Amino acid sequence: MMHGSVDDRPQPFDAAASNSLLAGVGRVLSAVNRVIVILAAVALILACMVLTYSVITRSIFHSATYWQDEAAVFLIVGATFMTAAAVQSTRGHIGIEAFVGILSPLANRIRLVLVDIASFAFCAFFSWKSWTLAHEAWVDGTVSNSTWSPPLSIPYVLMASGMTLLCVQIMLQIVMSLGKARRP
Amino acid sequence: MTVLGIGISYGVATLVAMFSGMPIAFALGAVAVVFMAIYMPSASLDTVTQNVYEEMASITLLSIPLFILKGAAIGKSKAGQDLYTALHAWLHKIPGGLGIANVFACALFAAMAGSSPATCSAIGSAGIPEMRKRGYSGGFAAGIIAAGGTLGILLPPSITMILFAVAAEQSLGRLFLAGIGPGLLLVALFATYAVIRYRQEYAAAKVAYEATGQTSAILKRDEYTMSERFSVLPRVLPFVTLLTGVMIALYGGYATPSETAGLGGLLALVLIALIYSVWRPSDLAPILTSTIRESTMLMLIIGMSLLYSYVMSYLTISQSAANAIVAMQLPRWELLAAILGMTVVLGFFLPPVSIILMTAPIILPPLRAAGFDIIWFGVVMTIVMEMGLIHPPVGLNIFVIRNVAPDIPLSEVIWGTLPFVLLMMFAVVLLCVVPSISTFLPDLVMGQEIRR
Repeated sequence: MMHGSVDDRPQPFDAAASNSLLAGVGRVLSAVNRVIVILAAVALILACMVLTYSVITRSIFHSATYWQDEAAVFLIVGATFMTAAAVQSTRGHIGIEAFVGILSPLANRIRLVLVDIASFAFCAFFSWKSWTLAHEAWVDGTVSNSTWSPPLSIPYVLMASGMTLLCVQIMLQIVMSLGKARRP
Repeated sequence: MTVLGIGISYGVATLVAMFSGMPIAFALGAVAVVFMAIYMPSASLDTVTQNVYEEMASITLLSIPLFILKGAAIGKSKAGQDLYTALHAWLHKIPGGLGIANVFACALFAAMAGSSPATCSAIGSAGIPEMRKRGYSGGFAAGIIAAGGTLGILLPPSITMILFAVAAEQSLGRLFLAGIGPGLLLVALFATYAVIRYRQEYAAAKVAYEATGQTSAILKRDEYTMSERFSVLPRVLPFVTLLTGVMIALYGGYATPSETAGLGGLLALVLIALIYSVWRPSDLAPILTSTIRESTMLMLIIGMSLLYSYVMSYLTISQSAANAIVAMQLPRWELLAAILGMTVVLGFFLPPVSIILMTAPIILPPLRAAGFDIIWFGVVMTIVMEMGLIHPPVGLNIFVIRNVAPDIPLSEVIWGTLPFVLLMMFAVVLLCVVPSISTFLPDLVMGQEIRR
């Protein structure tokens, strides 16, 4: 009843059904996503290293750890939000698809477009509020409430950019399915 | 509108959004934001992203991607197969030893990888063909692996338990320890059942042989020499060392649970590089991509579930619901049965992570009021949610098995897993009667908990 897409590859662009501009945007976006996935993978491994370093320094050199946890948090938060679009490109955000089997293919296509529009609306709102949050944190120079006190604008900007990219991805998917519907 | 009205409309809106097939993360977030806009001061909408960030930016929660990385690294290497071969070589003399070897391999692998589906596919891809080659019926073989895989969310490190610890504000170390006793209980139950079922299938094959002269693979015996047995050990030892090393770091007080995740992830990557020479970027790419797919999907659901329960508690829906349940004055065990029943139903639709985060604010206060140990409840709830992994309609593990062994009919897989679902129910009952199965170990290692 619950399905992620089994296919790991991004859905192929239907060259005939979409114009060249759309195809171009799609290609750029998937290239951006590929680069981001690599960076995110590196960020996860870095986070592992930072935490390992923290265990070693504390148990061997008995020095206090003060920045490690937070650095790992920033790395992982960044990796999570920035890859949201890449995961969406393969429809990897799972939903409950209990009614997919009952509906006709046409009804399902309409359902999918409506669901995408709703998802887009939410993500657009979330990106907008993330940018205002990041902007405020930047202007006010808000820092995290710890001894290390790094600027909070760093994770906020990562969150905002990731959600924006996710919006672009969902928008592309909506336009593409509408394009397909017009030329059956 | 009264709290009851708001609560009901919140629930209905959630159901509609979820069943439209909208991704769970966006559905939860959208419902939360819409209700914020209607019922909360407009300033609260401005801080919605800050809320999500602050709830998510806990290193305990963010250890989840690292545990997933560790699981993927071990899961995609040949470690599962090696572990399985070694256990088989050592246990083959016991009748039903192959089945027992599979249960043990699942348990050990689950403890290293911490993921149920990963365990199923890693042990199952080697174990199911081997068991069937030796004449085990398809359903039996599939059942062992599906059930063995569920140990992944009970034995530490378990993602489900991390979330429960965060939602219930309990010690993660204590919760991990509390899962070990019940985990071993389930291993023992599964292994016992494997022996009994093997004897039945063996006897049936023998009768058939004596009657018709038709021989069966299950009647054959195979031998391993002592040197063969020892030659399989070196490949397993590093992983068992990883497992014990991480445990020692955690309970010896050298590392916090989240640091353990980082340490384990890094060690797993180093081990697969050294033992299976998986270190080239092209080898690592599938591991890292699948980690990101799973962890991003999960973390967004977690972040939005946190926003969802924040709105629920701001609008006092959760408190009112909790108070209403307390006011019903249900007898203790009926309360527990009702809550577990609800967990089962929710498990038909939702992954365990959302169930925990969405229901914890409602169900934990009544359970506390009724005098239940919350750590113990976390373990019981985890076993109940594990059952959801192997029974229809969701049965994630069943789908994994179908991928590993596509030629076993679905009905056979479901019938094969049914006895294991019953065994797990039995384990839940046993835990209710003898709670110390779970609480003994944490009390021993970390001292008695001060009851609040």
